[in-house]
Amino acid sequence: MKEIEVPKEENKTLDGMQKVMYTKDSQGDFITENYGSNIEEFATKTAVDEYELLKEEALLDIKNGVSSPICFFMYENRMDLPTLASMVGMFAFRVKRHLQMKHFKKLNEKLLQKYADTFNISIDELRNFKHGK
Amino acid sequence: MENNFNHSQFAHCESGVISTLISSYGLKLSEPMAFGITSTLSFVFIPLVKINGMPLIAYRDLPKNIVKKISKVLNIKMNKKVYSNKEEANDELTSLVNDGNLVGLQTSVFYLPYFPKDMRFHFNAHNLLVYGKENNDYLISDPVFEEEVKCNENELNKARFAKGAFAPKGFIYYPDEIPKDIDFSSIIKKAIKKNAKSMLTPFPFAGVKGMNKLAKKISTLKRNNNDRFLKNYLTHIVRMQEEIGTGGGGFRFLYAAFLSESKQYNLDEKILDEASALLIKSGNTLREFALLCVTASKNLDKFDAKVIAQKLEEASSYEKEAFTLLKKI
Repeated sequence: MKEIEVPKEENKTLDGMQKVMYTKDSQGDFITENYGSNIEEFATKTAVDEYELLKEEALLDIKNGVSSPICFFMYENRMDLPTLASMVGMFAFRVKRHLQMKHFKKLNEKLLQKYADTFNISIDELRNFKHGK
Repeated sequence: MENNFNHSQFAHCESGVISTLISSYGLKLSEPMAFGITSTLSFVFIPLVKINGMPLIAYRDLPKNIVKKISKVLNIKMNKKVYSNKEEANDELTSLVNDGNLVGLQTSVFYLPYFPKDMRFHFNAHNLLVYGKENNDYLISDPVFEEEVKCNENELNKARFAKGAFAPKGFIYYPDEIPKDIDFSSIIKKAIKKNAKSMLTPFPFAGVKGMNKLAKKISTLKRNNNDRFLKNYLTHIVRMQEEIGTGGGGFRFLYAAFLSESKQYNLDEKILDEASALLIKSGNTLREFALLCVTASKNLDKFDAKVIAQKLEEASSYEKEAFTLLKKI
């Protein structure tokens, strides 16, 4: 067995990109070599899937009138509450309120624009949120 | 200053960028050297600081550590600048690269269009080099990619001004003056001692103690209608260790390569060889640990917290041994 094994497995999350790691050549000198690891693949996939799950849950809550579309777009953009708060430049507790439908309905144009800019969408997409169009 | 730029691919973004940057300006510096002389190997586990609801776990020092320390360690004059204005940042970058400078940049992976979709998370401390501009596209040497890439200026600006933890604020850096005669032997010795000190710190959330702290935390995890959390928790540890540009084994192989390269500088070869072998052992053990975490996440019926925690403790024991040796170098 080699001192440092280099896995050569497929990692679909890299989409064809190749990463390198350090290992030793036959003379015992360190070199870099391409590798692919399905351990990494699974870990990445789990993180990506978690956001898909959060999105689905958000959709259900939006349908029931509990959560606001901001909640959906937050997860769509792979953000959590502190990240979104920092992006729009507001305190987290304020953003948290905007994630609720009852507070979202009262938001003015200026605040909506801030969120729309952050998510790179139009105000209309936020206000008249319809998923699956 | 004249530069002799050549793109190469590296295991880790920040040490890779510094290696290319310094080497291009005439001082040959490998990636392991850039990583080692800045004493970057680390371990941190801070349960109170949360990222996406998960505790902060890091296998190396804070982002920007290498950029900050390299100029101090090698006595390089480095221009560093952050911006509050996007347009100004963009104009200055354009004129710098048009004047033939190689410029290092801190960016957020999420906004870089050339990254694979599944890799684009809000990680704000990705380093890359800009070496030119064609129309509205910057020519980029991204150290984790095989070839040079291009990125539209609007998208690069977004990546430079992402918000959140470690917000880059348009941070750029490029060397001004690089000294010729450098006493690597004493620099390496100092750096190794410093790293040994930080790995053996009594502070319970860092270094070898930090690894044991995380092991302890893992051993208390129980399956109790929390499958989703457990799966996310275990794979989060793996992502921080294997995926975030570490080149495998949580940077341990990279540091082992540094110790091995250090042998040409008149230091105790026996200690360096032994410590290098121990860090390879630790890296391999950490990979077994990652495999255990992933196997358990795939099938939580087989989840055995004790076994996983023991693997991490095993890795920490190798590191304790390695850095106790290195302290005496």
